[in-house]
Amino acid sequence: MTSTTFLNDDERYAASIAALGAGPARLRRFLEGYEPRAAWDALARGRHPADPEARYRSKARPALVDAVEARCAGRGIGVRILGRSGYPATLAADHEAPGVLFTLGDPSFIDSRPRVAIVGTRSATPYGLSVASELGAALSEAGVVVISGLARGIDSAGHAGVLAASQGAPPVAVIGTALDAPARQAERQLQQGVAQTGAVLSERAPGSTGTPVWLFAVRSRIMAALAHVVVVVECHRKGGSLNTVKCAVDRGVAVAAVPGSVRSSASMGCNALLVDGAVPVRDVGDVIAAVELAIAGRSEILPPRSPDRAPFVRGGTAHGAEGSARALNRISARTLDALDHDPASLDAIVGRCALPLTDVALALEQLAAAGLASGAGGWWSRQGR
Amino acid sequence: MLASIPSATLHGVDGRPVAVEVHVSNGLPGFTVVGLPDAAVRESRDRVRAAVLSSRLPWPKHRVTVNLAPSGRRKGGSGLDLPIAVAVLVADGSVAEGDVEDTAFIGELGLDGSLRPVPGVVPMVAALSCRRVVVPVECASEARLVGGHEVRGAASLGQLVPALRGQGPWADTSDSRPETILPPLPDLADIRGQPVGRRALEVAAAGGHHLLLVGPPGSGKTMLATRLPGILPPLGRDDALAVTRIHSAAGVGLAGGELAQRPPFRAPHHGTTEVSLIGGGTAWLRPGEISLAHCGVLFLDELGEFPAVALDMLRQPLEEGVVRIRRARRAIDLPARFLLVGAMNPCPCGEGSVPGACRCTDAARARYARRLSAPFLDRFDLALSLGRPDVDDLLGGRPGETSIMVAERVRFARLVAADRGVRCNADIPSHALDELCPLSPEGAALLERRLRAGALSARGLHRIRRVARTLGDLDDAGSLIGERQVAEALHLRDAGSVRSHGPSS
Repeated sequence: MTSTTFLNDDERYAASIAALGAGPARLRRFLEGYEPRAAWDALARGRHPADPEARYRSKARPALVDAVEARCAGRGIGVRILGRSGYPATLAADHEAPGVLFTLGDPSFIDSRPRVAIVGTRSATPYGLSVASELGAALSEAGVVVISGLARGIDSAGHAGVLAASQGAPPVAVIGTALDAPARQAERQLQQGVAQTGAVLSERAPGSTGTPVWLFAVRSRIMAALAHVVVVVECHRKGGSLNTVKCAVDRGVAVAAVPGSVRSSASMGCNALLVDGAVPVRDVGDVIAAVELAIAGRSEILPPRSPDRAPFVRGGTAHGAEGSARALNRISARTLDALDHDPASLDAIVGRCALPLTDVALALEQLAAAGLASGAGGWWSRQGR
Repeated sequence: MLASIPSATLHGVDGRPVAVEVHVSNGLPGFTVVGLPDAAVRESRDRVRAAVLSSRLPWPKHRVTVNLAPSGRRKGGSGLDLPIAVAVLVADGSVAEGDVEDTAFIGELGLDGSLRPVPGVVPMVAALSCRRVVVPVECASEARLVGGHEVRGAASLGQLVPALRGQGPWADTSDSRPETILPPLPDLADIRGQPVGRRALEVAAAGGHHLLLVGPPGSGKTMLATRLPGILPPLGRDDALAVTRIHSAAGVGLAGGELAQRPPFRAPHHGTTEVSLIGGGTAWLRPGEISLAHCGVLFLDELGEFPAVALDMLRQPLEEGVVRIRRARRAIDLPARFLLVGAMNPCPCGEGSVPGACRCTDAARARYARRLSAPFLDRFDLALSLGRPDVDDLLGGRPGETSIMVAERVRFARLVAADRGVRCNADIPSHALDELCPLSPEGAALLERRLRAGALSARGLHRIRRVARTLGDLDDAGSLIGERQVAEALHLRDAGSVRSHGPSS
């Protein structure tokens, strides 16, 4: 019927059924006990037992099938059907596995490797962002697949770290929107990077618009189902990351959390998780240990390589930065002293230095050029080891 | 049986001369007004007749026709009551033509014959070319500001007619009041801490740079903005006249009927309509807030709450210093050269400028950021992210420099800028940047680093150079712009895009 042959018959109709916009549970019922083609025909005739009120009959038009296939073909989006080959076995074993999974890149590496999800708040501090990025890089280099959601903040920082690592394990991104949904430029670049080296997964059919809030909540279950360990890097007291934690706890997946300052609002959720018994993360070694514990006895998965333990501690121990700091002039040194790893407003820094703004501004520029300070939107913090 | 009396009406902030012609002829008694009068002028028929009769003066028992020339142009306002009444009296013979020779009249009449003040006396009188002007007694001092006319005040029609005939005294309009002492402006010394905010204010005043303040509630945005008029130089003679005309035309109170001395400070609420902000309206094209802020400060608090359309309308006046209002039948250019100070929260929850503290959803942040278009935000030379001041500063901090000291530096920097042939540094055209704002090699290198990092746009580059020029003037650092000025200018524009708030990647 259709001129394009990007998808086979099963994939074409399974993707179209997913594009009807039903929730995950209903989608599974649509496909249970039916060949995709037969399920589609039953829906189109309003005779599907999972759709007794024939609510999807009007949507199930032949034009939708062509549109979905065209979109998949245009972006190179693969369609994986629950219970068929090509669908990640780890995910298939989950009781809430999505009936149809859309993929960019080949996700076949997922089942044979150790996997860690890095999650956290969108509104992160530089501390959280740098920890997430270093953790992503170190885990990837240790052969661990890093799973994340590509959201602003911690998620993105984690994957950015993976992509910056040399010869790391491929990353996996699980996103709540459709794979061809418009994204901000930074997000799109990251998504392309992950798709090239690893895989991007979504249960939303291409062309689906709008992102109901529940979608972000239900995609958390996919991350939790795929991961051996869920690491929360930074999380507010009532953050969306806690939803991923809940999904992980429901599935018996280990939860680890990076401790933060008790004064930082962005670390309140993490610190609370630690009180509740989450594994504390001081460095990548703590995560690796948790992963090893999680996969012990499952011989089909390779244990991760043990990396050199790279602590997140900064300042004091590293000599390179101290050396270059010494080379700075008096004003820059005074400005550096006024900086902390917690970001401070320019006002506060000028106040601490007790120097005119013009001196501090120049000093900050010099420190930033030397890689010793970083700032955005008028907030500055100390950078580098 | 014919009389013609000069008067004027308002058109935007300008006066337009109007000749009030009255013809009294035989026929059925009646009173018609022609010459495109608006509702207020048409109603003046009833006011004028009642006022004349209440003043025990005769009303012609004939047909009275009033023409407002030039008759093709619309006329509004109640200031034509008095000239119509006088013209009727002259045409009827109650007042001799010689008594009103070369005399113009402006004023509203009450039913009892009393004269009431009208807005816009300054521009209206300025538009008149006759020797003598009669205005309501309350408007006399305002009318004198124009100079060049013999200004007479009258309290009522009953007093005016004998005075015209030389049989009675004019109302006493001599300024016997003591010189009005303006209330003191808020002083910069009240601000504890906030060194960056203070510096930005000084730079804004010295270079005429538009200033955007971004910060959580309680970070002192309004407090800073209200200190700006205190450090701006006082108005020069020409600016003072322009401001006085605009405020007179808008009916905004002038202190004691004197020339405006201080730069105006206008802070319209964010519920304001587009027309009241920009100017316009139906009766007569009224100056909007941006014209009332001419030569002064327009402070828009809660910038994100203003209607997006209204803010985008500010772009053209911001570029050109005038607002060109066009309606189907009328067109007018109103002066609107103001210093724009915007204040806003970084995001709906207000905490977004502190890294990691924002609790807004992505959608809410995106919605908030969309309210301000990028081209509009680009107009701000200075953009600051403010934090809440330290408790120590609030309680124990030393009071800062006073406004007088800062104003002195501002005055000096403006003098330096004036030597360049521009009104202020913000007005330096981009083609003259290389000549007027030459960069030192270190300064150029710093800018190049930022440009290459993609942290600066071409338009942003120009703005940075202008601000750096002002910084150099303030510090008396010579003609070459150094690394130090460039660095500071970059830091004074750090919150340039609300979208870039907080670490996002």
